[in-house]
Amino acid sequence: MNENTHQRALQLIAQARVEGMPETDRTWLRAHLEDCDFCAEHARQTDRALRLLRTAAIPVPAGLAGRTQFRVLWLACGMSWIFGVASAPYVWSLFQWLGQRTGVPKLVWEVGFGLWWSIPALFAVAVLLMESSRKGEQADWINQGS
Amino acid sequence: MSGPTLFFSTLMADETKTIARGLQRRDPDLLDRLIEQYQYRLFRYLVYITGNKARAEDFFQETWIRVLERGHQYNGKSKFEAWLFAIARNLVIDWQRSKKAQSLDTLTDPEQEHPLQFADENDPSPLRQVLSQETEENVQASLQKIPAIYREVLVLRFQEELQIDEMAGVLSIPLSTVKSRLYRGLEALRGALQGGAAS
Repeated sequence: MNENTHQRALQLIAQARVEGMPETDRTWLRAHLEDCDFCAEHARQTDRALRLLRTAAIPVPAGLAGRTQFRVLWLACGMSWIFGVASAPYVWSLFQWLGQRTGVPKLVWEVGFGLWWSIPALFAVAVLLMESSRKGEQADWINQGS
Repeated sequence: MSGPTLFFSTLMADETKTIARGLQRRDPDLLDRLIEQYQYRLFRYLVYITGNKARAEDFFQETWIRVLERGHQYNGKSKFEAWLFAIARNLVIDWQRSKKAQSLDTLTDPEQEHPLQFADENDPSPLRQVLSQETEENVQASLQKIPAIYREVLVLRFQEELQIDEMAGVLSIPLSTVKSRLYRGLEALRGALQGGAAS
């Protein structure tokens, strides 16, 4: 076996792991590794390195996901609030126009405009309260169980 | 394409489209689920490219805020994790640029005269601090020895199991560069582990 044969084998060992290789090359490499201890050891070391890399564990800090979810939720609420404030004059004009078209008293469409803003907010508050009460019950249940 | 392969690729395409639609609506439930689902993979990727746990935590949160802000840009045609990693990587590069006015590649390219690492020099061994104790000790030391641009491609290919074309998208580099970095990275990893075992 000459130097070029070993070079080709080492190249194919890496290629097989990085991007795969054709069946003909695979057959040639298999035959070569059976005869060449040096290249077979190289292949074993490469596989070991990859195995160790794959199994290297990095623990996620406790509560990181929860803290992120909280931050993202508040930002989403903030963005929604900014959008709501920015669009308020247009919504007011829409209610005013609808009120004039349908001939309903001014007080009615003004109350409608008020409900347009308050109902989603009240709904969100109710959901948050239900969620926190559910989490509280869950925590009690876990504490009782432990 | 075989039956099961077609089934799973269709399932994945449906999943990415669902994610894309949810992100366009800024669906809070979807974001919660994605944060939970990708927390380990994103955090691991950030630790490997920043080399610092505290910084990785900051970038983790910033990445999800960016996902919320720019969710409408995700079209569901590529894997969500590839898009997520690209966002995370760009944040790290922006931060590095603002700090050093240099890109990730120039900061970590081993062919530069003085290759820089992400980790602070004062920090004794950031990766060592965060890698699990169960992992063989020489892996930790070996990963430290590998330049960040190689460590990054190794993580994306062999831990995240991204395809080479997906990696090219994440890293914004040609396929040929991804491959050459993978070959060099693999050799560096093997050599580093061999050196670690010998020492």
